Amino acid sequence: MAVEVFNPNPVIFAPVKSTKPSSKADNIWVLDPLDIQDEAEEVDSEEPIDEHEIFDLIRSIADPEHPNTLEELRVVSAPQVKIIGNRVHVEFTPTVPHCGMSILIGLSIRVRLLRALPSRFKIDLTLKPGSHQSELAVNKQLNDKERVAAALENPALVQALEQSLANAS
Amino acid sequence: MDIELSHRIDAIQELPGHQDRAWNVAWNPTKALISSCSADKTVRMYSYTDASNSSTPTFSHIATIPTGHTKTVRSIAWAPSGKTLATASFDANIGIWEQEESDENNGEWECASLLEGHETECKSVAYSSSGTLLASCSRDKTVWIWEVHPDADFECLGVLMEHTQDVKCVAWHPEEEILASASYDDTIKMYIDDPSDDWFCFLTLTGHSSTVWSLAWAPKGSYLASASDDKTVRIWRRIAEHKWECTLVIEGNERSVYSVTWGVGKSSSPSLGWLAAVGSDGVVRIWDISENEDSTLQQKLIARLPEAHGVHDINSVAWCPRRGMEDLLATTGDDGATRIWRVQPVS
Repeated sequence: MAVEVFNPNPVIFAPVKSTKPSSKADNIWVLDPLDIQDEAEEVDSEEPIDEHEIFDLIRSIADPEHPNTLEELRVVSAPQVKIIGNRVHVEFTPTVPHCGMSILIGLSIRVRLLRALPSRFKIDLTLKPGSHQSELAVNKQLNDKERVAAALENPALVQALEQSLANAS
Repeated sequence: MDIELSHRIDAIQELPGHQDRAWNVAWNPTKALISSCSADKTVRMYSYTDASNSSTPTFSHIATIPTGHTKTVRSIAWAPSGKTLATASFDANIGIWEQEESDENNGEWECASLLEGHETECKSVAYSSSGTLLASCSRDKTVWIWEVHPDADFECLGVLMEHTQDVKCVAWHPEEEILASASYDDTIKMYIDDPSDDWFCFLTLTGHSSTVWSLAWAPKGSYLASASDDKTVRIWRRIAEHKWECTLVIEGNERSVYSVTWGVGKSSSPSLGWLAAVGSDGVVRIWDISENEDSTLQQKLIARLPEAHGVHDINSVAWCPRRGMEDLLATTGDDGATRIWRVQPVS
């Protein structure tokens, strides 16, 4: 497969140390102050999962065309993760508006969350509005469960996904 | 819900066993048999005891067909005779299954034919009401029409390339040789045979604002229901022989609607039957559909059951087509289970 590099010179951002709300300084993006208190009651198996934990699951996914994580490229960021009840909404931002890797990046985020989150969560995945020339088409494909299921039975695609997810902690 | 509904949905039995998401369920039209298919590449068959006269049926697993499909079995369809089952798989093939002759109806299910031709995942398969035609559709954007010959021989009569995106569902009219298809391109198309030429598309129905996942003809065939990713169910009315228009938009689903089924129901008043829809919000909803005096349509929600498959998506829903059992409903979900329900008046 001839590889076209869609963005040869991406801007790299330093990752934040941890998104865990262990100290007040890390909590600049917390929307709901009640989330912080959830940390104190980390015993129950039905423990609510918060935006930070979701972000921690996806921040270290590798970008398919650069030796960087999605966090370093600002493809994902903590404020772009929202949870309402059992619905997780993750917005992501391609590094360039013609990024042909958006589907693969989106799939890697979805697969990471499908594997790590309890099955009660419904995951909606969208591009940051205005960030991609085929925004609606990409969104539609990433949220079509049948297409996602079929993609995950495609060995070449799964191999590419596993590479992106190999170092995701 | 605060509204008091006239009916309730009682659980009859859960049929577990698939090792992965169950995509589709199909009642055999002539025998006490129901089957389901799954991402685990198998088809599971269950027989059941008499369910007429309100007696509660018991379902027993009688067979698992490994199928040999190399990918997910996405959908299944029984021939009207009840003797043949078709499977549509993500491996791009259609399997045709028949049971070995035996005295006690326990013969092995064997692959009688494998229909190849689609380039990518097959999503749906359907027999015409006479059983002489089979339709299949795929992500390759095509709909194929096959003629059914004796000895599991199939001849392709036409490849319809009308949709601009994946075709999600095909459904035949309950009496006439009219085929409808639903697509990721947000449209529904209808096809008929030109006796002097080929099959052709005579109508495109637009109105849904996202993928159309599922189609269900009304038992009498003058209406078609469609379920969509736009969270609505639409009902299309036949206004001339080859003309249909949207007559009702049913809202209420909170997420994608994946499947819709239209049965005759057991309504006490004049009715066009019972419509059931399911989807990603995990709720089973049932409406009684009737015609007003001015011949507009009316939908009345008669029953609603949240979390019918726990936290999981529900992928398909089907009314039992057999006489006297029109109140039996089957659903399949991402939990891999098939569940059997009975819709009863609240006493």
